[in-house]
Amino acid sequence: MVKFLSEEWITYGKQFMLEKIDPAKDLKNLTTSLLCVIENVPPNETTMNLYLEFQQGKLTDLIVNTSDTFTEKEAVFVITGLYGTYKDIIKGNMSLSMALLKNRLKLKGSKIEALKLIKPIDVVIDSLRKITDEFEE
Amino acid sequence: MANNKVITLKKTGLEDAVAIARKGTHCGMCRIDFLGSGLCPSGKKHGYLAYWPQGRMELVKHLYEGRIKPTEKLLEIANSCTLCGICDKQCNFTTQLRPEKVAKAIKDYVNNLDKSEFQNVPEDDILRGLREIVGDEWATNDPNIIVSYTRSIIPPDVELNYYIVMPESTEQVSKIIKFANKHNIPFMARSGGTTCSVTASYVLIKAFSLDHGIVIDLLRLKKLEIHPESSTATVGAGVTTFELQKVAYTHKLRVLAAEAGAHYCSNIATTGIISTWGNNYGSFADNFVDVTQVDEKGIITKHSDIGILNPYSTETGFANVTMTPSKIITEAIVKLHPIFNDEVAIFVPFTHLKDALSMLLKLGKRDVGLSLAVLSAKYLAEFLSPTFQISRDFEYICKNYLKLNWVVSVIGTKDDQKIVEEMAEYTMDQSLIKSLILGAPRFSVLKDSEFLRILSEEDDPLKALFAGPMRKHLEKSLDPSPEQVAKVYDTDLQDFFKKVYSKPEMTDVVWLHAFRILPTRMLRQRMFSGPGGSIWSGDMDHILNWIQMFADVGDKYQLEHSLGFITPLDHGNFLYMEYDYFFDHNDPELGHKIGKTFIETMEQSYVMGKVITLLDYLFKGMYRKEHVLYPIPEGISKEEQVMFRELLESTLGGEETW
Repeated sequence: MVKFLSEEWITYGKQFMLEKIDPAKDLKNLTTSLLCVIENVPPNETTMNLYLEFQQGKLTDLIVNTSDTFTEKEAVFVITGLYGTYKDIIKGNMSLSMALLKNRLKLKGSKIEALKLIKPIDVVIDSLRKITDEFEE
Repeated sequence: MANNKVITLKKTGLEDAVAIARKGTHCGMCRIDFLGSGLCPSGKKHGYLAYWPQGRMELVKHLYEGRIKPTEKLLEIANSCTLCGICDKQCNFTTQLRPEKVAKAIKDYVNNLDKSEFQNVPEDDILRGLREIVGDEWATNDPNIIVSYTRSIIPPDVELNYYIVMPESTEQVSKIIKFANKHNIPFMARSGGTTCSVTASYVLIKAFSLDHGIVIDLLRLKKLEIHPESSTATVGAGVTTFELQKVAYTHKLRVLAAEAGAHYCSNIATTGIISTWGNNYGSFADNFVDVTQVDEKGIITKHSDIGILNPYSTETGFANVTMTPSKIITEAIVKLHPIFNDEVAIFVPFTHLKDALSMLLKLGKRDVGLSLAVLSAKYLAEFLSPTFQISRDFEYICKNYLKLNWVVSVIGTKDDQKIVEEMAEYTMDQSLIKSLILGAPRFSVLKDSEFLRILSEEDDPLKALFAGPMRKHLEKSLDPSPEQVAKVYDTDLQDFFKKVYSKPEMTDVVWLHAFRILPTRMLRQRMFSGPGGSIWSGDMDHILNWIQMFADVGDKYQLEHSLGFITPLDHGNFLYMEYDYFFDHNDPELGHKIGKTFIETMEQSYVMGKVITLLDYLFKGMYRKEHVLYPIPEGISKEEQVMFRELLESTLGGEETW
């Protein structure tokens, strides 16, 4: 188990998703990209970006950086929320879709298209949950 | 150990109090002075829900179950009650409960405890920060206060990992949100809490509650100013609809009102003001001139700010459903409407729903009347009857002897009355309705009478009753009087209720419609869920099929159910319907069934099309009706239906949990 968003987490995350997630069965061969903007990351209230890209259900890119803006890639969907909200999602206290419905996350992109990704993204979150149990307080 | 605890508590008399408390439904009527009896002095002074009768009822249950331990605050809560009896009067009027017995039981119990065993609740950094914003008195982490918010924002089965904070200004709300964000703590604003309490027993609690964090109780935002020159009012987020209407009336003005105990600003934010006056007064953003709001980052804006993005635009459809307001409204400038000297109430009785709807639509499309609705006999019976049993008998008589299943209820001017009377063969006027209110107990005992048996044998019992000589006999047999109706209350309350029913407004249907104090009787010791939505009014068969679908789902789950009301919107282009399912909120199995009815009826509504479901209404009240109601949606495809199911499963869990 590693700390959420740490270097080890990135390495494990990539490895875990590549090895344990079935592109066809779990991710329905989806091709998309998602930028998670994580605000108020303790201890210095910084903003971190987590970019995920999938081609035919296979993870092709995972970038984490600390910056108020993310210019490396342009994502199809941008989801913005507090570190605490992402923590609740990764810990399984709240689903991604519930966080969106309750405005704890803001979505930029087509909502109807985003709905099609609910199941696959839930699989990705499940897998991240398996490698993360440590968070900034 | 658990058994010992229960035995000890039984000795204190808490068991009887818990039995009463379990019937409480958080209707919130104990927080408004609707009977002129005054307000609970303890609640008025201390604000937190635990100090109000409804909060005490919640508190005692959890104390009894061992979810909380006594603290110094509990002693203060208990002893702040003066046993003045105001709560008994208010609660008895709506639900026949006696919350003072609960308060007395808590008092007796707490004052017999060994104070040295009280749980100490230390202040932590978060509480210290909140207190710096609002003052020491108005932020707490005491479990005895927190637990009182259960079922009205806090789910019944979670750890009490919360803070309650009561700001008194928009600036304080903003500071609280910024503070919460800084510490990554979720927050949620609470007003009257009624919507949360209605959903608390079933699947929607997952969406409507706060699982942990900061509850921002808006009760202290009490600004209320009437501006007669512009027919507007400035209303703080802590002001209830009843309080606003009461002050507006002193200026001969009226606000579009939904539930009396609901906080007006919250009502705007939640669904917009859904009311029988909506066809005339408007809906959604029609009802306010400006709002002051705080967003999720704590930034304060007003709709009148120059340069803000269009605040009135939204999209409907299940992909755009939201379960919380995008912003907290802390203040609104709302529109008021003139009260005319010649306002009257007219009820037109019907046997068949289709006939009632046809008349309603004719009136709605011609903009006749100020308030327009089809009410079911059940609704009528619940409202007019002082007790649950009388309402049952009232409804039985209407349906089985009179064939009175529906009424078209019209509030309007004398001009409107003329139009209605020309359209209807017979009507029930204000005088007859007054007789039914004051004679409801007598009416109910006519159940197996010869009079009703003879009447029921008529070809058209309604005509015989309302347009023939039988009416005189009915009024005579009702013997309507405040004394008569007061007799059904507990002996010690009869004098009080005699005075209440002697007040002209308590039998004035226009006043009762405008102040909406009677609908809370639907929450008489049990809960109801009222899904529905707006349907395009252009296809009567489609409307009737839609309504039948709600009935079929109710039958499928063997629930007590009934159409509540239907009212036109936007010059009769739409009909808003509430369909009610009644259930015991203490029974998890029934809660499960209610969850299923809600989801199935919403899903079927999406499939049927031309319906803006209640889900689409949620938290859309601040937008223009033109964006919420239009374009009129077509039915969703099979593929979209699958997506709808996936959304539900992802948010609310698998179907087995619904």
